[in-house]
Amino acid sequence: MILPVLTVAAALTQPAPLQVAPGDLAAIRAAVAAPGASAVLVNLWATWCDSCRDELPAVLQFARAHRADGVRVILVSADDEDQRDQVAAFLTKAGAANVQAFIKHGDDNTFISGLDPKWTGALPASILYDGHGARKRFWPGPVTARDLETALHELKKGKP
Amino acid sequence: MNLIVAKLFLASALQVLAVGAPVPAPAAATKMKSAVDGMSVSIADARGKAGTLVIFTCDHCPFARGWEKRIAELADTYVKKGVGVILINANDPAKYPEDDFAGMQARAKQLGLQVPYVVDETSGVARALGASVTPEAFLFDKNGKLAYHGTIDDNHRDAGAVKAHYLKDALDAVLEGRPAPVAETKGIGCGIKFR
Repeated sequence: MILPVLTVAAALTQPAPLQVAPGDLAAIRAAVAAPGASAVLVNLWATWCDSCRDELPAVLQFARAHRADGVRVILVSADDEDQRDQVAAFLTKAGAANVQAFIKHGDDNTFISGLDPKWTGALPASILYDGHGARKRFWPGPVTARDLETALHELKKGKP
Repeated sequence: MNLIVAKLFLASALQVLAVGAPVPAPAAATKMKSAVDGMSVSIADARGKAGTLVIFTCDHCPFARGWEKRIAELADTYVKKGVGVILINANDPAKYPEDDFAGMQARAKQLGLQVPYVVDETSGVARALGASVTPEAFLFDKNGKLAYHGTIDDNHRDAGAVKAHYLKDALDAVLEGRPAPVAETKGIGCGIKFR
């Protein structure tokens, strides 16, 4: 009797798999612009990208720490679209919660240029927007917890 | 303080070579060792009568690997038409051991590369052109002016599913002395691991 109870208990403590939606440029723009956020961080990454995996804990910690402040974190994976289940499993295992997760859909050239003219397509990259969807910071390459905290602090203080 | 922050930001923001610009002279003259035959070659050495194609690529990146056969085929095809081709690996192998010289030699042999595949030992050539991703192509016309900059085509996974042959179309345009139909594109890839 004990084993089934333990199994059920273990199942209850497992986080639900994160939903990863296909996201084209319009979908990501809509997620950024959706009302109710004080700031929005978009992180562009892929499971195959080492430096993306290295920075992910800092991004997820940022999401956890600032959820109550209304900070929305959007992860956009550039993995191939048929890797959606693997991306979801990877993020779930990484403890991703309180984030919106997408897998990039559509033509790279349109997506990259449309999302941020400063982005060359190199992964990882991150963009911080204010609560009105205005782009405030762009990071080519990995971000650190300090980068994110400093930028959010400056955003809240109203620095350009 | 703000000045320091501004300088740091400028240092991290690459200036990408503009369409119409030549390769900056110091970068063009930089000798780089080729994994194909051990010879030292510069972009100036690789220059072709009809144009010059410089592609930043590497061994470890799934996107570079996805395109590597097409890159080798394009190189073979257009070298015969008078375009000089040089493939450059600017990654720091300390960060990706697969990108070391032995790895490049193995890759060059496997692909049967007939064009130089060289090491940018300081990543200085990549910086001079403003390259940031692999693979990333810079195509110069016969006068040495940048005619096309960007990705190879619109599908890294499946050559048969390509709809937009950006680089090939630009190469054909350069051979015919007309502007590339699309002069600048972007493609997702691995960030160059600068030394």
